[in-house]
Amino acid sequence: MGKLVLYRLGFAIPQLVVVSVVVFSLTYLVPGSPAAAILGVSATPESIALVEEQLGLNEPVGQRLVEWFGGLLHGDLGTAYRSGLPVTDMLAQRIPATLSMILGGMVVAIVLGVGVGVYTGTRPGTKADRLLTGGTVLGIAIPEFWLGIILTTIFAAQLGWLPIVGWVPFSVDPWGWFVGLILPSLTLGITGGAIIARQTRAAMVRALAAPYTDTLTAAGVPRRKILYSYGVKNAMVPVLASIGVVFAILIGVSFVIEKVFSFPGLGSLMLTSTIGQDFPVVQGVVLFTATLVIAVNLLIDVLYGLINPQARPA
Amino acid sequence: MTTSTVGPAAASAPAARQASGIRQAWGRLRHQPVTLAAIITVAIIVLIAAFAPLIAPYAPGETDFTAVLAGPSAEHPLGTDDFGHDILSQLIYAARTALVVGVGSVFVAMLIGVPMGLILGYKGGWYDRIGSRVMDIADAMPGIMIGFVVIAILGRGTLILIFAIGLIFSMNFARMVRAITLTERKKLYVESAHVSGLRNRQIVFGQVLPNLVGPLAVQGAVFLGNAIKVEAALSFLGLGLPDDQPSWGGMLRVAAEHQVDHPWMALPPGIAIVVTVLALNLLGDGINDALSGARTTRKQRKKARALAPSLADVEKARQSAEARETATDAAQAATASVIPATASALITTPLHPETVLAVRDMRIVADRPDGEVVPLVTDLSLTVGRGEIMGLLGESGSGKSMLAKSILGLLPAGVRVESGSVELAGEELVGRTERQLRSIRGKKLGVVFQNPQANLSPVHTVGRQLVDPLRVHHGMSKKAARDQAADLLDMVGVKDAANRLDQYPHQFSGGMAQRVAIAIALAGDPDVLILDEATSALDVTTQSQVLDLVLDLRDKLGMAVINITHDLGVAAEACDRVAIMYHGELLEVNDVFSLFHEPHHPYTKALLASHPTADHKVDRLPTIADFVTADGEWIAR
Repeated sequence: MGKLVLYRLGFAIPQLVVVSVVVFSLTYLVPGSPAAAILGVSATPESIALVEEQLGLNEPVGQRLVEWFGGLLHGDLGTAYRSGLPVTDMLAQRIPATLSMILGGMVVAIVLGVGVGVYTGTRPGTKADRLLTGGTVLGIAIPEFWLGIILTTIFAAQLGWLPIVGWVPFSVDPWGWFVGLILPSLTLGITGGAIIARQTRAAMVRALAAPYTDTLTAAGVPRRKILYSYGVKNAMVPVLASIGVVFAILIGVSFVIEKVFSFPGLGSLMLTSTIGQDFPVVQGVVLFTATLVIAVNLLIDVLYGLINPQARPA
Repeated sequence: MTTSTVGPAAASAPAARQASGIRQAWGRLRHQPVTLAAIITVAIIVLIAAFAPLIAPYAPGETDFTAVLAGPSAEHPLGTDDFGHDILSQLIYAARTALVVGVGSVFVAMLIGVPMGLILGYKGGWYDRIGSRVMDIADAMPGIMIGFVVIAILGRGTLILIFAIGLIFSMNFARMVRAITLTERKKLYVESAHVSGLRNRQIVFGQVLPNLVGPLAVQGAVFLGNAIKVEAALSFLGLGLPDDQPSWGGMLRVAAEHQVDHPWMALPPGIAIVVTVLALNLLGDGINDALSGARTTRKQRKKARALAPSLADVEKARQSAEARETATDAAQAATASVIPATASALITTPLHPETVLAVRDMRIVADRPDGEVVPLVTDLSLTVGRGEIMGLLGESGSGKSMLAKSILGLLPAGVRVESGSVELAGEELVGRTERQLRSIRGKKLGVVFQNPQANLSPVHTVGRQLVDPLRVHHGMSKKAARDQAADLLDMVGVKDAANRLDQYPHQFSGGMAQRVAIAIALAGDPDVLILDEATSALDVTTQSQVLDLVLDLRDKLGMAVINITHDLGVAAEACDRVAIMYHGELLEVNDVFSLFHEPHHPYTKALLASHPTADHKVDRLPTIADFVTADGEWIAR
């Protein structure tokens, strides 16, 4: 197993390096100069030069790249243009809310997706299958932030069962943390769950139509055992890949629905920084997100190797 | 953002057949009510967007300060927002925005993705390595994040928004086009085009592009829906279009602010997005189904259920068949001849003293989508004696595998037993429920299928796949079952059996995997073992070894074997009796020596004559004049 982890790290680390270079180069894509973008209409050539001087934007590319990577190794992502605070601190403050929401969303998506997918995949063509599969089509079409608005309107504003403003840090009140996460997790999880459900259903149908299913059936292995132990394990091979895809999607979606639930996560930070063209913060959020996605994909590939013996390196 | 799967048929049809394929697809589309509804919905949305000024009661920016945040009324059917904008009019103009941004961004995505995919797929090498890395990086980035970054760099605006959303989906197009180009490039017709001296560019555009049309249409529709979702999300966050331009996302931003006091405001724009995206996704799925020709209709499924024979029917049919059988036996005894009167009837050898499996008047049919019922096996009767190896010989499409599957109760969807009976050791099998079948599967009947690797679950150890049936049949402990599994493996000739239990199927060669499959089939000590082309995929040496094993096992365990094959050699080598099947009918049954030396039926004679042997020198291999077409017609020439 260690071999597989090493093998996958050998793939993930170069990917991470390339991503950091791309993120670094973002400021060079700004038409004109980031300094001009910060100063807006009041910019004069002198003030632009001054700001560039202050921010170190006029240093040669090579030197800035070395500084960027040097900073990264020490966990230093630079200083925000607007607030002057270290980007790392700003991120650290926002990460718990974002991670909590994504964790909740993934739990809902996997439980819902695998559950519905296995249920429908073992009885394709039945009424229950058509109803639930129709539901997944709807689940994929619904804009998550709208679903969030509807859910808060019903369960928070009208019925008053759950709080409208969700975030309570776990360290402050674990129960409050959990209650506050219910609606955001459901909102996040339904679309992801629909995607996973469709993949799971297709994989289950494929697995149950495979010759080995006939071999085991003909050998007298009970159908229940074939479904849940052989079918599900074989189906999990493609489903794991879809879980990786869903994870990346959920991060993006969480950035949007933070606004609905007034969550103090990375999304609202990214939003204000995007509008304010605060590039160090934008770069920091992008880099953190990409690292998270790469790490989760690594984890999924290792799990993939655990399930699928053919994916293990010899 | 969802990665939709693309129909394989669309990707593999050669260019020359593309035109008729599209016509066929249109034909299928007419039978997909959901897709038709989706097409109509999309058409209505497009019309609303195109004729917005004619339909909308108010201009997009028009404000009515006498009615701010008003509920539905005669003037404002859906009420007004916080600026007194008429919500219905906003909704209609926003459809325009959604379609313009959506279509624009899909166009941008194709503009970037299609050439990129073509180049990566066609050029390969460094282009592909670098390009694939770029796609990997894009994978590490949630789509909406790319939107954020583009807007942070370039600012807000309609064109920037279209570019940002297009960029998000461009990599999906690139990936898909790359994959299709790669497969097409490897295909024979591209290589033959090379030989005929066409230039690379001509090959890519002439041969590969037509094959992309279907998948691009499917992805285009699905991504259009996704692009509209992303546009709404960005506008909701205030990163999309300028505020004066109506958009569904922008309307929802206002609605969210008035969520507590005016909850109804969130409904119209939300429903508009859902309906549009849903219609586009269903359209994409529909095109995909139409191109691949998948999906059975509901009518078919109902029919299949209604037509399956019940146990009572089968019982009745069997009794009458038994009555006739005694009559024929008597008649046979009287004439003392093995050649029956009619030409199509069988030539029978005396029945085995102890019949273990009796198939009587079996009729298996397939239900075609157009309602036609195609017979696959007609009025077939056959008996197999205890310890006997019966070869079932016939060419592809002769119905021999369907016969085997019907005995096992494993017929594929759309195929069913119309009438007839299968009696195994005194028990009727036709008409049994799944549960009733379980008591005979493995215990009385074992089977080995053709493809050695596919017969075993790739993600379970070989030991596990032996232990499970053993525990079912003998109620053993895990430990005991494992020991027994090792003994079984040893018996079928797998060396180092105890250690190989922990290995996976891909670590076994084809012949060894097939031995494992035989061991699984034998786990319940069956009376009858069916080999369904079990040696066909093996090379001749391995085939011979596996057949020797089967003969050994028969001698040791005394079970009957039905060996289904299209290989005369296999039939001759390892069978006691051979039954010849052709086009769903049993033509001749005889002991293996008589059959090969004195064939009676003209087809058997022709079949034997077409087998090349060292004794005869022929210029041209003899062929059989009739042939079975793909859709089951029997054409005589």
